[in-house]
Amino acid sequence: MTKKIYVLGGAQTDFERNWSKEGKGVIALLKEVIDDGLKNINITYEDIIELNKLGKIACFVGNFIGELYINQGHLGALLTEVNPAFYGVPSARYEAACASGSVALDAAITKIKAEDYELALIIGWELMKTVDSKTCGDYLGRAAFYEEEAVGIDFPFPKLFGKLADETIIKYNLNEKRYLDNLAKISTINYVNAKRNSNAQTKKWFMNEDQANTRGTSSNSMIGGKLAISDCSQVTDGAAMVAIASEKFVKENYANNEFPIVKGWGHRVAPMKFDEKIKEGSTNDYILPWTRQTVVDAYRRADLIVDDIDFFETHDCFTSSEYIAISAFGITEPGQEYKAIESGQIAFDGKTPINPSGGLIGCGHPVGASGVRMFLDLFKQITRNAKGYQLEKANNGMMLNIGGSATTNYVFILGKE
Amino acid sequence: MNIKSVTVVGANGTMGRNVSGIFASFGGAKVYMVCRNLEEAEKAKKKAASSVKAEAIEKNLIPMTYDDLELCISSSDLVFESVSEDINIKKDVYKKIAKYINPHTVIATGTSGLSINELSMCFDEKIRKNYMGIHMYNPPYNMTLCEIIPSQYTDTKLLNIMKIYLKSVLHRNVVEVKDAPAFMGNRIGFQFINEALQYAEIFKDNGGIDYIDSILGLFTGRSMAPLTTSDFVGLDVHKAIVDNIFNNTEDYCHETFAMPEFALKLVSENKLGRKTGCGLYQSIVNSEGKRSTNVYDITTGVYRPKEKYVFPFAKQMIKELKVGNYRRAFENLNNNHSIEAIICAQFLIKYVIYGLVTTREIGEDVHSADDVMAAGFNWVPPLAVIDAFGGVEIFKRIAREKLTQDYISQIDLDDILRDAPKSNYDFRPFFKAK
Repeated sequence: MTKKIYVLGGAQTDFERNWSKEGKGVIALLKEVIDDGLKNINITYEDIIELNKLGKIACFVGNFIGELYINQGHLGALLTEVNPAFYGVPSARYEAACASGSVALDAAITKIKAEDYELALIIGWELMKTVDSKTCGDYLGRAAFYEEEAVGIDFPFPKLFGKLADETIIKYNLNEKRYLDNLAKISTINYVNAKRNSNAQTKKWFMNEDQANTRGTSSNSMIGGKLAISDCSQVTDGAAMVAIASEKFVKENYANNEFPIVKGWGHRVAPMKFDEKIKEGSTNDYILPWTRQTVVDAYRRADLIVDDIDFFETHDCFTSSEYIAISAFGITEPGQEYKAIESGQIAFDGKTPINPSGGLIGCGHPVGASGVRMFLDLFKQITRNAKGYQLEKANNGMMLNIGGSATTNYVFILGKE
Repeated sequence: MNIKSVTVVGANGTMGRNVSGIFASFGGAKVYMVCRNLEEAEKAKKKAASSVKAEAIEKNLIPMTYDDLELCISSSDLVFESVSEDINIKKDVYKKIAKYINPHTVIATGTSGLSINELSMCFDEKIRKNYMGIHMYNPPYNMTLCEIIPSQYTDTKLLNIMKIYLKSVLHRNVVEVKDAPAFMGNRIGFQFINEALQYAEIFKDNGGIDYIDSILGLFTGRSMAPLTTSDFVGLDVHKAIVDNIFNNTEDYCHETFAMPEFALKLVSENKLGRKTGCGLYQSIVNSEGKRSTNVYDITTGVYRPKEKYVFPFAKQMIKELKVGNYRRAFENLNNNHSIEAIICAQFLIKYVIYGLVTTREIGEDVHSADDVMAAGFNWVPPLAVIDAFGGVEIFKRIAREKLTQDYISQIDLDDILRDAPKSNYDFRPFFKAK
């Protein structure tokens, strides 16, 4: 990357919270995350007014489908309801299903790189607990090709990622029991990691490998194909904010510059329909070739290889998606993901931890917020601000955020300069 | 500490079985669930697993009866007693179990307020040092508070080991509390709840029970209004807690632990609350199957439909909380001079003061009251209330404005608030916009 993009910090809300139960709406949610985020980067609302007079600041909002969950669109402009300091500040909403946060980040990075602005605030959010779980599942179906893959189907996404599990077993000729055991291990690692994260949705929940392997019981019912509730991220309310800035801004405003930089990125879009994806990739070694290509692009742009990455945050909307991410990252060859799971390599104290935050399964998945939350977690680890879930070695981190059935793929690499 | 096996004596009770679930899940321990008979033990086992949402732990739960005490206890690293809150029943049980306890077994009681020192005397010196109180709140899967109470004989090293076990293995929010009646969470919580009950009687002509609950509703930093909480836990339990405190403590809030006449009458009529069908409230279903709530009218002595009170101060606060304007919500409370707003502010302020006074007397440090109220009651903790008011100085000014001279004269406000730190808890999630 030519021009440096610095990550200044940010905030996330406690994903355990149910904002509908609190009687609070999107404005309260945004106010909290922006208040906390600005405090974290030492910027005030007065600063925003001044920066805006000079045209130096813009906002980028990631959200999947607020039109359905809270009957609200025009979500970039909605920031003006949070604080009058946003009057006049350029702001727009970006959408790519569960990768909405990343597409907002991408737009912000591009604008800073183009020197259009010096400071960008990226806010990802989703309020999902406004409806019952079945309706919620139906809304999320819009991230697939709704007409063909979701209409009239209960919980379409678990079924699509259940198919991914089936296809993974077939493609790599895996022993089904061993594969499902490995998915249970993935789930358990995420739950265990989440226990260290005070913002995690499941911080009080119990999960162990036995329970994750007890699929098809009343406490772990089947949800899609071979997948059960324990293989699945849960419906979550929440928001995350990060701030990125140009080198000029950092030099002018911060005495000590130890901020991480964006070292690489990747963005690829695979065929919308799941069956088409599998068909298209049938001759490729990778089951999701475009996901792999996104990672490869990011490594190339960063001039780094997998051995340079100390930890990963991935999009474990289901255990089956984390499973394939292992080879997509290059941690193992495709078809040999089980090795990294069974050896403990991806656990918190392993050689290449995945999801020290707890990931989507443990930390939670407010869909429009997840990309921003992962980006923030890379920042926290690299700057040693991850508190209870701080890793020992965290110089470079990679995140993978996907939308739909791994349709929109986004990867970012953050690291020390 | 490696606790591989636990005996829970009295595992058929709500707390006994829920605590069994915690040991068997997070603790991964084999748990002997000692109940009156095997049928009850089998039922308790299912409920224990379901309380932690994990059928997989059923294999760790072993139904047992009192006939098996020797086998269970002699092979257990920890014995957890969870029988009725009656000191004589507990003493009887201790007599039965003492002979099977080996010198390395930890012995704990789940009592919610009986004297740990007195109970510890049931054991001979060899094992008395292994005895302590481990008081969890119900349901422990959601309420993570665990008060740990040593007796004067408890081995300090063992106590510290148990604290680490409860915190890092069972994921409890552990607070060491002195052996004082009702310990800390219930002392602070029921001071508030019982005074609210007294106010219901004082303001019975304004509406009484539902009137007070509406003044101290969810928007004041809790997930359930105080008298609804009393109705939920049962007036008998409420009475046991406040009687214990009233009879065995002496502080400036002493009189607020006296249960009002009308509530004693309800107890004597077995109108205890949700568990008996009616108490302070009564849930009714009409002929069309629609559910609604009645409330006990203190003046007339009959149940009437619950009122939907609209207090301008509450309406305004809720409006501000809905959009996250916490500061403005509190400005509304402070600047409103209606009787309801004054009662509300007084209760919040007195709660902070009593919390800080109590933590000084029986807690570990100034944050203990916060831990017990957040993790045990899901109430906004005392120090976080100060933050919500806008900090110590503003809080102090408002306290002097709102409290009666009588109240102020009984306490040293400056001393109580001296060095009050910022809370470790974020007050925002506690104040509901409803």
